[in-house]
Amino acid sequence: MSTLSELQLDALTEIFNIGAGRAASSLSEIVGEEVKLSVPRVQLYQSSEINAEVLSLNSPRVGAVKQSFSGPFDADAMLLFTEERAMEIVHDMMGSQVGIEEMVEFEQEAMCELGNIILNACLSSMADILKLTLDSSLPAYSVGETDTILRQIVSEANQPVMLVLHIDLAIEKRLSQGYLVFLLSSSSLRELLIHIDRFIAGI
Amino acid sequence: MPHRNSIKTLLIVDDSRVSRMMIRAFVLAKYPQWIIIEAASGNEALEIVGRDTPNYCTMDINMPGLIGTEAAAQILAKYPGIRVAIFSSNIQEAHRTRAATLGARFVAKPVTEKTVAQALEFFESQA
Repeated sequence: MSTLSELQLDALTEIFNIGAGRAASSLSEIVGEEVKLSVPRVQLYQSSEINAEVLSLNSPRVGAVKQSFSGPFDADAMLLFTEERAMEIVHDMMGSQVGIEEMVEFEQEAMCELGNIILNACLSSMADILKLTLDSSLPAYSVGETDTILRQIVSEANQPVMLVLHIDLAIEKRLSQGYLVFLLSSSSLRELLIHIDRFIAGI
Repeated sequence: MPHRNSIKTLLIVDDSRVSRMMIRAFVLAKYPQWIIIEAASGNEALEIVGRDTPNYCTMDINMPGLIGTEAAAQILAKYPGIRVAIFSSNIQEAHRTRAATLGARFVAKPVTEKTVAQALEFFESQA
């Protein structure tokens, strides 16, 4: 199992911290409220180890926005939200003039947009800091039982390594948890770490 | 010619070691004679400031424990002479406004030669 050195982990956390900060700034403009962020926690898992318990996702259902990124390394990036929180965020995004019934119609689109903002903010900060170019696919949204969604993610990706980033975010008084999951092949992870090491060596 | 009293003490507050390393490197490239002190949290920063009062301070916001804007507020309330640059990836308007209210300069991360220069310009702009 690959492990990250203390400095590699620090550099990755800081890169995602900057990305999450950019994402929070965009989100706060959309919802018109301050978005509070926790310090991101970065962990590396084998895909086979991943389940709701490991991620401490204690909600029966989750929403997942998925986007693929390609460049010097390829990654499938996923943003996971507990479902009821997702609906609250959609409600904030759409404004109070939209009723709960209508909101369901917008959920798909709003969640894709939310995922797009957060995933791209994180990936673009990584690209800027590591001085590389990453292209992204269009976001896709799915919602379902937590374990089913997680099993689906692991089996579809067929990648052995998962880089999991955990961020708590609070909009107004609503506390939500967001997980950002990056699926990388061993060779993509090696490539990412080469870029991280190059960045650290350049300091 | 650097003047004798141009030796300044800078406190870098950031939970990321990589960020502290980068700020330190860019500052020392410009002012090799400066004394750099590092703190990994807002609480640690308060302890250091009470012990050896620095001239300048760069302060991250999102850190475990006391957040940067709060640490900066406490430092500036006690030592209004310290010039503080809030150096953060949390670029929301609320934090920019808070920094301005405190009399600190807000500088958006990432740490680069250019953003460190913005902080240095603020430090050196005093009368």
